[in-house]
Amino acid sequence: MRHVSSSALAAWTVAWSFSCGGEAPQPQPPLAPPPVPSAAVPTPPDPLGPRPEPGLPSVFLPPAPVVFTATGGITVWLLERHDAPVVSCNITVPTGAASDPPGKGGVAYTTAAMLDEGAGKRGAIDLARAIDGLGATLGTEANADASTVSLTVLTRHLHEAFAIFGDVVARPRLEAGEFKRVKELWASELLERSKDPDATARVVFRAALFGPDHPYGHPWDGTPKSARAVGLDDVQRFYHAAWRPDRATLVCAGDIARPALVTMLDEVFGTWKAPATPAPPPLAPPAPKGPWPRVVLVDRPDAPQAVIAVLRPGIAASSPDAPVLTRVNDAIGGSFTSRLNQDLREQRGYTYGASSRFSVSRGPGQVVSWASVVTEKTGEALAAMLGDLHQFASGGLSDDEISRTRSQSRASLVSTYESVEGIAGRLASDASLGRGADYQARASQLCDKADRAQLDALAKRFYSPEDAIVVVVGPRARVRPMLDTLGLPAPEIRDAEGNVVH
Amino acid sequence: MRRTLLAGLAGFACLLVSGAGSAQDLTIPFTKTTLPNGMVVVFSEDHAVPQVDVNIEYAVGSRVERAGRTGFAHLFEHLMFMGTRRAPTHMFDAWMEQAGGNNNASTHTDVTDYYDIAPPTALPLLLWLEADRLRDLGAEIDQAKLDLQRDVVLNERRQRLENQPYGAEELELPTLIWPDGHPYHHPVIGSSADLHAATVADVKQFFDTWYDPANASLVIAGDFDTARARELVDRWMGAIPSRGKPTDPSAAAGSGEWKTTLSGVVRRTLTDDVEMAKVTLAWQSPRHLASGDAELDLLASVLTSGKASRLYKSLVYEQKIAQSVEAVQESETLGSSFVVTAMVRPGVDPAKVEKAMLDGIGVLRTQPVTVEELERARNGYEMAFVDRLQSIPARASLLNTYQVEVGDPGYVQRDLDRYRKATAQDLLAFARKVLVPDAMVVLTTVPKKGGRR
Repeated sequence: MRHVSSSALAAWTVAWSFSCGGEAPQPQPPLAPPPVPSAAVPTPPDPLGPRPEPGLPSVFLPPAPVVFTATGGITVWLLERHDAPVVSCNITVPTGAASDPPGKGGVAYTTAAMLDEGAGKRGAIDLARAIDGLGATLGTEANADASTVSLTVLTRHLHEAFAIFGDVVARPRLEAGEFKRVKELWASELLERSKDPDATARVVFRAALFGPDHPYGHPWDGTPKSARAVGLDDVQRFYHAAWRPDRATLVCAGDIARPALVTMLDEVFGTWKAPATPAPPPLAPPAPKGPWPRVVLVDRPDAPQAVIAVLRPGIAASSPDAPVLTRVNDAIGGSFTSRLNQDLREQRGYTYGASSRFSVSRGPGQVVSWASVVTEKTGEALAAMLGDLHQFASGGLSDDEISRTRSQSRASLVSTYESVEGIAGRLASDASLGRGADYQARASQLCDKADRAQLDALAKRFYSPEDAIVVVVGPRARVRPMLDTLGLPAPEIRDAEGNVVH
Repeated sequence: MRRTLLAGLAGFACLLVSGAGSAQDLTIPFTKTTLPNGMVVVFSEDHAVPQVDVNIEYAVGSRVERAGRTGFAHLFEHLMFMGTRRAPTHMFDAWMEQAGGNNNASTHTDVTDYYDIAPPTALPLLLWLEADRLRDLGAEIDQAKLDLQRDVVLNERRQRLENQPYGAEELELPTLIWPDGHPYHHPVIGSSADLHAATVADVKQFFDTWYDPANASLVIAGDFDTARARELVDRWMGAIPSRGKPTDPSAAAGSGEWKTTLSGVVRRTLTDDVEMAKVTLAWQSPRHLASGDAELDLLASVLTSGKASRLYKSLVYEQKIAQSVEAVQESETLGSSFVVTAMVRPGVDPAKVEKAMLDGIGVLRTQPVTVEELERARNGYEMAFVDRLQSIPARASLLNTYQVEVGDPGYVQRDLDRYRKATAQDLLAFARKVLVPDAMVVLTTVPKKGGRR
């Protein structure tokens, strides 16, 4: 394996949720003509000739999976492709960290962690040995709104791996000995989190925007305090409420045909039955209530950089504006040539990268613009970020941004559809958010057709810094005087877990 | 059936699969040519998804940097985006993104890699932009461009290392494991002082020396027409004059029979703003693709890949003295390093964890790994190969790596075969040769007292 040591451009983590597309393919542009020497011009012609102008990329409309109901009431989304000998399966239920009991943040997270710590006839070590022996990868995770188990494996090992996958989903042991060990590791992990400035910022965002009583107000992996309060009984209760076949969607992508899949489902999930009680509906938390504007400062003494962020309430996944918001986000902070990155990095050199992103969740989530900036420029950088956001929200998108974001959104989905993991992950997210199997294509149409009025209205609604929360994670003694020069409200001081200190 | 789908996800021509139930065979179809100016060009057509990838590897990395200019190769990589008269500053990215494309680059000890990913309509633009900067970037650099990207890189250094837990030890390891004067003795990111010292004259000289078509390997992969692309490459890349392929004096450090230059145990303890201590053990090891390299990859898997691996099971699961363990063979072309790390559980003495790690590694030198362990490690690598080849950018990068390192873009099957052919006796032999107790680095990070908060 090679050693990747440094990379020039920041990785752009933008909330993905849909694609664009929907118009006829564009014709290929003609090649640039070869330079024509002219006797009248003394300088030689440019050997490169004029710049080629590609125009809009062709449409990429992703295929929709076949949908059917299988044994025990599991909904199945199947997208076959037989070009590579590999299959990805994701099974998801629409219950995640937003359903953590009060004061017990992290139950969904640690329940996911416990699923593969022994299941069916295998203990934790034997299960890992069996999965690794097949060269398969098995993952378990929870986010705000969903819990998911994922499997990727070569076709020739699928049958054996799928049996283990089924045990993890339907027959986890959830044993006390394993839970004690997992809980100890979890506690240490949370201690270490507080030393990471980006992870700290993410914890504080939720605490500041939603507050401790809101379903989205705590980090998915909990806090040291909430983790201590979680017992094995909480995990068992969460598992039985969340994981039932009539709430589950299984997404399979890759080298598997429907009859073979149905046979495997009967073998592996045939005994997994839903309880008689009706399945609870997925939780859709309300929008945060404010107040804003506010400033939150987290002390990180001696840090050479400060994390600066502007935080606003976001959008619900079900909104028809949700796909279109990606285009707006691309313009302000979702791509390398976005306004925030061009200004804070490429004009001013304050940072390695400035970006914005929005969460895609069942209830309205968050919109965040952020950067890690050299500490001595924290004030100037924040002023620039607020200025860029203000100008964007009040002035809307430029002609260039409108055409660029259309091209980018048309192209963006293609990479996802290169790999079976990409497809299964994307579709499982759609399933968990209740978006339907044909969502990607529908969203594409909405996105591609968005006009200036709609884009500008979304810029104003989601990126205006006037009703926002400013978060700074940096050395308080140095940063505080800089904040005071910006005319912002006096900062509230919070710790790395998001608790108000004073 | 798939033909009826709107997107027409056509077959991956790249993966030719042998009979069911047996091991996979891998082929990435390509054609290769060398332009008169020395640039190697590889074409790999695949129309599965509407995307094309341009990957250019320049045979220059941090290993060529002179004393006082560490970090320069990477700083230069940033400057490659700063424009020319044809593509003024910021327009390289602006035009590419306007066409629906994106790009990135990475600097390594051995090479610098640039890639562009875009819809097929943008291929002419990508090649035009790459040809433009290879032709003229050096002559058009100025102080303002240098100063701006120097600030960006200093911020990259802060964000990735200085303001991150355990960043300090990442900077320290190369200087401990490689001797003074070795091309890998300093970290790729370089020192802040050296980054500050870089001049415009340095940039021009570096460009003139290393950024030559004869020192470049270009791969075009994905949804494009080879004949049409060939015409553009001939016209734009082929017309760039070569100053000749540079000679790389650092290459000598990688020649000859493998032998560690460490003559004892190098010990260092750092204090950092962290909650958990971390123990790092590191050895010099055989270079990428050389005899022993795959065996060490497999040994790394046996040690720490998955809960059933030896060190995870022993240190994390049973003894509960470590939070996590990781072993990796860091393969590079002049020589590799085999690095084993453990995060120490709070309240546990790092020395106890170090001893447990060394005990576990010591067993690898005395008895062969089991058949089942070897099979598990092999299957993991086979899966990783198949998985990686689904992605066009990953395929382009792999073709280019093989071209630059062994002169054969089609090396993937032979690469995979290294893992298939390695026996338990081979692993034992290389564990004995490489993972020796008396020529290694022991680097420990301990939490600073009181901490930051």
